[in-house]
Amino acid sequence: MTDPIVAQLVEETRLTLEEMAAGCRAEIDWVVARVHDVLARELPGADPAHWRFSGTDLLRLRRIRALERDFDAVPELAALVADLLEELERLRARLRRAGLSVD
Amino acid sequence: MEFKDYYQILGVPRDAGADAIKKAFRKLARKYHPDVSKEQDAEARMKEVNEAYAVLSDPEKRAAYDQLGRGYRPGEEFRPPPGWDSGFEFSGSGFATADAADFSDFFAELFGRMGGGGGRRGFGARGEDHHAKILLDLEAAYGGGTRTITLRSPRQDRSGRVVLAEHSLEVRIPKGVREGQVIRLAGQGAPGVGGAPPGDLYLEVHFEPHPRYRVEGGDVYATLPVTPWEAALGATVKTRVPDGSVEVRIPPGSSSGRKLRLRGRGLPGKPPGDLYLVLEIQLPPADTPRARELYETMARELAFDPRKHTGS
Repeated sequence: MTDPIVAQLVEETRLTLEEMAAGCRAEIDWVVARVHDVLARELPGADPAHWRFSGTDLLRLRRIRALERDFDAVPELAALVADLLEELERLRARLRRAGLSVD
Repeated sequence: MEFKDYYQILGVPRDAGADAIKKAFRKLARKYHPDVSKEQDAEARMKEVNEAYAVLSDPEKRAAYDQLGRGYRPGEEFRPPPGWDSGFEFSGSGFATADAADFSDFFAELFGRMGGGGGRRGFGARGEDHHAKILLDLEAAYGGGTRTITLRSPRQDRSGRVVLAEHSLEVRIPKGVREGQVIRLAGQGAPGVGGAPPGDLYLEVHFEPHPRYRVEGGDVYATLPVTPWEAALGATVKTRVPDGSVEVRIPPGSSSGRKLRLRGRGLPGKPPGDLYLVLEIQLPPADTPRARELYETMARELAFDPRKHTGS
C-alpha cells in the first residue's frame, strides 16, 4: 500500500508566473499581457517575478487561452466569454443548491 | 496501433483548404465545448477534434500525415516505416501550446519524437501539467482525509476511436477546500523528458450534492425541522451537523425560514465559514381523535388569522 499523494491547496500555496504559464501551456509573455489586460486583479508590485496567482486565476486564464486558441478570439472577447461562463456556473450552482435541475 | 482518419474526424474532404479546416474545427469546438455541450462524450470528442486540428492546421504535419496515411482506413493496423520522418524538415514550433500531452498514441507515434517538434517535450523538458475536475464529498472538505480519486483520460480503443480510460489515485485532501478551488498534486502530470521532472496534476474541486447540506462558499446551510410548540415556545434541540452534533436554542416566537447561525461551524479555513440552520416547522398529522381534538381546541381558542395582511 503506497502512501496517499498529498494535495496542496493552490489558494494557500499560490502559483508563480512560471507555474501559471506551464498550467496554461502558454508563454510567460502571454500570461503577463493577460494579467494586465483581462485578469482585472490587483497584483502586488510591478515585477512579475513576485506575482502570485490563485487557482481561480489559473482556471480563468486557461479558459481564455483555449478560447483564443480554438476560435482566434481577441483577448477582450475571450475574457467576455470567460466572464459569461463563470456567471453561468454561479447560476447553475445556485439552481443545484435550490434542488432544481440545471438542464 | 490503429490508423486515425483526421479528415473524417473533422468532417472535411482530403483536399480541404486551410480555411475549410479551420471552419470545421471551430464548428466542432463549439459543439463539444465542455462548458456548454450536452453531448455525453463531449470531452473525448473534443480531444479527438483538437488532435485532428493540431495536425491538419499545420502544413508540415499535414503533409507528413498525408504521405504516411495514404491507403489506410480508420481503425486499420498502422505501423509507420522506420525513419519515415527523415525526409521532412519540421520547424519545431508545432505543439508547444496545444494540449499535445492529451493526444493519442497514434499521434505520439507520428509526431511525438520528431526532432524538437514537441516544443516543451523536447530534450530535458519538464512534463506537461494535467488538469481535471473532481467531485468530493462534503465530509472530505470538513475533515480532510484520504480519498480515492478516479480520473478519466482519453485513450485509443481497439477500433482506433478515442475513449475515456479510468485510473485511480489515493489523495490526501486538504482540510477546508471549497467549491471551485484548485488543488495541486505535484509530479502527477505527464512524465518529463531526458531526466526532467514530471508535470503537476491540477484538480478543480466540486462537491457532490448532499441530501442534507447546501454549501455557499465557506458557509453551509441545513434545514432543521421543528415542532410548532418548539417554534412558538422556544426549545433547546440536539441536531447532527457535518463535524458532529450540537445543541441549539430555538428562540420563542420563531417562524419557518428563520436562520440560526452557528459561527465558525461551516467549512474550516481562515476565516472558517458559518453553519446556518434554517427552521422548518412541521405539523403533526391530525390522524387520531385526540390529535383532531387538539387542533379543534386551538382553532376555537386561538384568535389566529395567517391571512390577516393578505387582503383576503
